[in-house]
Amino acid sequence: MSSERKLDLAWVALVVLSIGSARLGSGDDDGFAVAVGVALVMAIKLLIVSRYFLELHEAHPRIRKAVDLFCYGMPILVILTTGLRDPLARLTGAALF
Amino acid sequence: MWVGIFCELTEFALLFAVYFVARAHNPEAFSAGPARLSLLAGTGYTLMLLTSGWCVARALHAMRKGERRKTLQWMGAAFVFGLGYPGIKIFELQRNFANGLDGSAGVFIVTYYYLTFTHLVHVFWGLLGMLWVMVRTGLGVYTPEDHGGLEAFACYWHVTDMLWLMIFPLFYLLG
Repeated sequence: MSSERKLDLAWVALVVLSIGSARLGSGDDDGFAVAVGVALVMAIKLLIVSRYFLELHEAHPRIRKAVDLFCYGMPILVILTTGLRDPLARLTGAALF
Repeated sequence: MWVGIFCELTEFALLFAVYFVARAHNPEAFSAGPARLSLLAGTGYTLMLLTSGWCVARALHAMRKGERRKTLQWMGAAFVFGLGYPGIKIFELQRNFANGLDGSAGVFIVTYYYLTFTHLVHVFWGLLGMLWVMVRTGLGVYTPEDHGGLEAFACYWHVTDMLWLMIFPLFYLLG
């Protein structure tokens, strides 16, 4: 498969995922389940952009690891801060006020 | 180039920390928040930026093959789709202000403006950079062997795109 073809398929996947994830926000589902779904879609989209558009596999390993930290870290934070909302509020409340 | 990009990522990491702490302290406001915003506008931003990023990636591939005319065409398309972002922003702001969603509309809206306006500034820098790269491409400055400026711009634009992919679900989807 040509590199251009891969880019085109990556773009189609991103568009489908974006429209699909928009439906997540229009339902009445449980907050934690929505957070897990949103985090999963976010991670997949970030990895597609970083691999196919940003060509991160050709970057220096340290740069790749640092960007990967963001790609995996944000979705994990979305899940953690949804599931552990009260402890986070207590922790930051004690630190801030 | 990567130093600048990591400065950008650090800036947004701090803003995301503000978002998570504000959300933990105001669960009701953030739960009701997405319904106050236009999901259509949020999805529109996402599609515009993703499509613009795809065009930039295609432009870079065309440059590597020495197809300068194709590179310019892809960059032109990337610029048009990139302009869609501030274009949608104008309509969304008009809708928001008509619905009373200004700076006094609560912590969710303030956090939303704080993060999305910062991102908008980065998109503006990107659009200016895109014009600069297009001019240099048109002048024949870049070659298949030496087009570091185009690559640097592409990296910046894709990272700005990735930041939006993080911001979009935080405000438009998560309850």
